[in-house]
Amino acid sequence: MDLLKTMLISASGLDAQGQRMRVISENLANKDSMGKTPEEDPYRRKVISFKNVLDREENITKVAVSNIGVDRSEFDLKFNPSHPAANADGYVKMPNVNSLIEVMDMKETQRSYQANLGAIEASKKMIMRTLDILRQ
Amino acid sequence: MNLEKIPLFAALTEKMKWLTARQKVLAQNIANSDTPNYRARDLKPLKFREFIQGPQEENVHISRTNTRHIFVGEASRYESQIDRNVTEMTPTGNAVMLEEEMMKVADTQIQYELTTSLYKKNLGLIKTALGRR
Repeated sequence: MDLLKTMLISASGLDAQGQRMRVISENLANKDSMGKTPEEDPYRRKVISFKNVLDREENITKVAVSNIGVDRSEFDLKFNPSHPAANADGYVKMPNVNSLIEVMDMKETQRSYQANLGAIEASKKMIMRTLDILRQ
Repeated sequence: MNLEKIPLFAALTEKMKWLTARQKVLAQNIANSDTPNYRARDLKPLKFREFIQGPQEENVHISRTNTRHIFVGEASRYESQIDRNVTEMTPTGNAVMLEEEMMKVADTQIQYELTTSLYKKNLGLIKTALGRR
C-alpha cells in the first residue's frame, strides 16, 4: 500500500533529523574541549549534510545522511596564560563551536522533525479513514 | 457486482489513488526539507474533464509469457514534477517551504476524508436499496 510507503519516507526523515540532533549535541557538549598542549588542536565543529536516495526495493525517494564533515573555520583565541595549552603569548585555542548557531540549528531540526511526524500522523489518519469504510 | 463499474465509485477510487500518490510526494518533500539542492515536487491537479475523457494515451504493457520473465511493474499514472515557481531558497539550494508542504498535507487529508465519507454514504445508499439499514 502506498500510504505505508509514505510513512517509510517520513521515517527516513525522522532518522536523518535524529542524526543531525546527535551531531548538534556533540558540538554543544564539546564547546569547551581544548587541547592539552599548545600544539594540539581543540575540538572541531562537526557539520552534517543530507542527500536524497532512491530506495529501489520500495521505489521511493528517501533522505539519508550523506556525510558528517568538519567545519574548517579558524579557532578562536582566548587569553588564558595559566592554561596548559596556552602558547608563548598566553593564548589558548578554543573550539570553533558557536552555541548560538548550534541552538538555532537545533530549533530547525526540531521543526523538521515535527513536520515529519505531522506527515506520518496525516498518512495514518488516511489509512484509518480507508478502514472506516469497512465498518459501518 | 463490481463497485468499480459504478462511475461514482470509480471516480472516488481514482481520487483516493491520486491523494495517496500526492501524500507520497509531500512526505518526500518534507523528509528532504534540509537536503541540499532539493526542489519541492507536486502532482498535476486531478481534472474532472480529463477523468471523464479517460487516459490520454494507452498504457503499453509487456506481457509475461514465461514465468522467468522479469515483471515490469505498472508505473504510477501520476507523475510528480518539480515545482518551478520557487519563492525562496536556502544558501544550500534547497527550495522546500515546510509551511507550504504542511498546508498541502492538511489539504490532502481533508480531501481524503471527504472522499471516504462520500464512499461510505454511497455504500449506505446501496445497502438501503438492498433493504438492509
